[in-house]
Amino acid sequence: MKYAFWPGCVARGAAPELYTSTLAVARHLGIDLVELEAAACTGAGIISDGEPYLQDVLNARTMALSEQMQLPLMDICSTCVGVHRLAAEKLRDVDYRIRINHHLAPEGLEYRGSADPRHLLWILLEDIGEDRINSLIKRPLDELNLGPFYGCYLVRPERTLEFDAHPTRRNSLERLISMLGATTVTYDGMTKCCGFPILTTNKQNSLTMAGTHLDEAQRMGADALVTPCPLCHLNLDAQQPDAAKVIDRRLELPILHVPQLLGLAMGLPPEELGLTRHVVDTRNLLNRLGV
Amino acid sequence: MAEQRFIIQRYDPDSAESYREEFSLDVQPGQTVLDCLNAIKWEQDGTLSFRMSCRHAICGSCAMKVNGSSMLACQTQVSEAVELGDPVEVAPMGNQTVIKDLVVDTTKFVAQFERAETWLEPHEDQEPPEREYRQTVEDFDHWSHASTCIHCGACYSDCTVAAVDEKFLGPAALAKAYRFVMDSRDSKREERLKFLAETEGGIWDCTRCYMCVQACPKDVLPMDAIMELRALSIEAGYTNNHGSRHHKGFASGVRKRGRLDEASLPIQSVGITRLLTLNIDAHKEMLGYTPGAIRLLKTRKLLEAAKRHGASQDGREHIQRIFEEVEAEKHHHDVDADAFAAEFETALGSG
Repeated sequence: MKYAFWPGCVARGAAPELYTSTLAVARHLGIDLVELEAAACTGAGIISDGEPYLQDVLNARTMALSEQMQLPLMDICSTCVGVHRLAAEKLRDVDYRIRINHHLAPEGLEYRGSADPRHLLWILLEDIGEDRINSLIKRPLDELNLGPFYGCYLVRPERTLEFDAHPTRRNSLERLISMLGATTVTYDGMTKCCGFPILTTNKQNSLTMAGTHLDEAQRMGADALVTPCPLCHLNLDAQQPDAAKVIDRRLELPILHVPQLLGLAMGLPPEELGLTRHVVDTRNLLNRLGV
Repeated sequence: MAEQRFIIQRYDPDSAESYREEFSLDVQPGQTVLDCLNAIKWEQDGTLSFRMSCRHAICGSCAMKVNGSSMLACQTQVSEAVELGDPVEVAPMGNQTVIKDLVVDTTKFVAQFERAETWLEPHEDQEPPEREYRQTVEDFDHWSHASTCIHCGACYSDCTVAAVDEKFLGPAALAKAYRFVMDSRDSKREERLKFLAETEGGIWDCTRCYMCVQACPKDVLPMDAIMELRALSIEAGYTNNHGSRHHKGFASGVRKRGRLDEASLPIQSVGITRLLTLNIDAHKEMLGYTPGAIRLLKTRKLLEAAKRHGASQDGREHIQRIFEEVEAEKHHHDVDADAFAAEFETALGSG
């Protein structure tokens, strides 16, 4: 299996453990990843705050690059998937696509409207499948109680994510968690916003959101959270000590990326998965697994 | 006919007691959640309280949480609700105080419309028309999607910002404000944009979480309206705020290297001019970032961010060209209006 791979900016920046753990897991799954090195940042909804057209052109270009490679597009960041899919949805309009393709022509590119951007998490469930994943599990996570943390873009808007056509996407994290032998801890905040998009505009609100969800999950008995979004990871992990101060609670909840969780179950060493580079210490969690 | 279980969140103001109560009843195909609440009230417990009126998704009275998400009880078939959870859990709207059972106090929600002054302010220098103020179909089409709001409060109930901040104007009031910004008969466009960009709890406090878009039973697309207000306020020059500085800093990083420049973004959001003019708040804000930066330093993550991993050289050249082309095109044609139009059409077409 081969994919056009868009790592996103954060996995190549402040969440490098997401990038390395993705590569490690892909290698063991036998997935071939061809990185889109010429592609641009999706704009994350922030470029479109002032320039929605520009953001659409940048994403049309990325999707055209994947079409040119004749490979399905794989993201590892929920925000990237969400923004890619919203662009793909708008670009089904032929007139809009023609307009935007004018900017791609000088590079010999044309977006033909066929891209179906998907998250690694969906690809695991839809392309790799439970049987193959089961066959690779060396270290079942039976001991762990894990809270899913979806954030926004992998659960909303439902029309863009095509939940009706792909019902397994509605609870993709719970499916992966139980496939790997762990127990799912459900809580209200699991599909809410982590607060990261407003960290620089309204820090108090942003950290109250992060803190509230972390506190709730911790009280419900989660040993760790698992998230498909590196932006959520930044607010839930790197900002956790500040979030604890804002809501005045003790918080100590490790946050795992999707490929880190899978890698642990596949028996990969914690260093290779970047689990030693988290702000919230993962040692207790690893001890429970006997790692 | 099949038996269906409901778990209803109850609250008795006399005893201040809050509890969940289970009811079972026979449900016919095609029955709505509201039909069932009525059946429970008429046949099992007359004290069950909820708001309702038209039963046709027009009056906006019966918004409540069904299996955790806000929706109109009259518009939701039991068969749809069961797909999201069985037994069906019914609870009052969120982000507002409960008065009794499923009835909430909407004072706070309504007050946001007053704060945003969501009524027509006609041009004073014009003679009032003999009958109503009129506009063309083309002018109406610019904001028609935002005209369908029924003030049910489902969006406010699920809003993740309203959950932590009472000052936030919220999706419904902001979508309504957008409607007047876009209305050709209104005289206060500039004042409105300035207020919405600069007031506490204005457009820049939205997290873009899509809860309101998902919850709205009338496809108002409140979040899209908020995003368009952001673009319009930047265009109108109301840029002395963290949100528009964040947008500008983010875009300029992508323009240079094709990728987000995480290391310089906090400084750009706080504002280089504010920092250079020794604005005390700006320096306090920068200090606030220090503990987080030290944590990222210790985990060797700041180092990765500082590497400023960019797009390939070839990619960068084309990305920069695209930035330049779009900028040049803006002077001739409103490309962003095209982008918003495509978004509304897509969302409504498939909605």
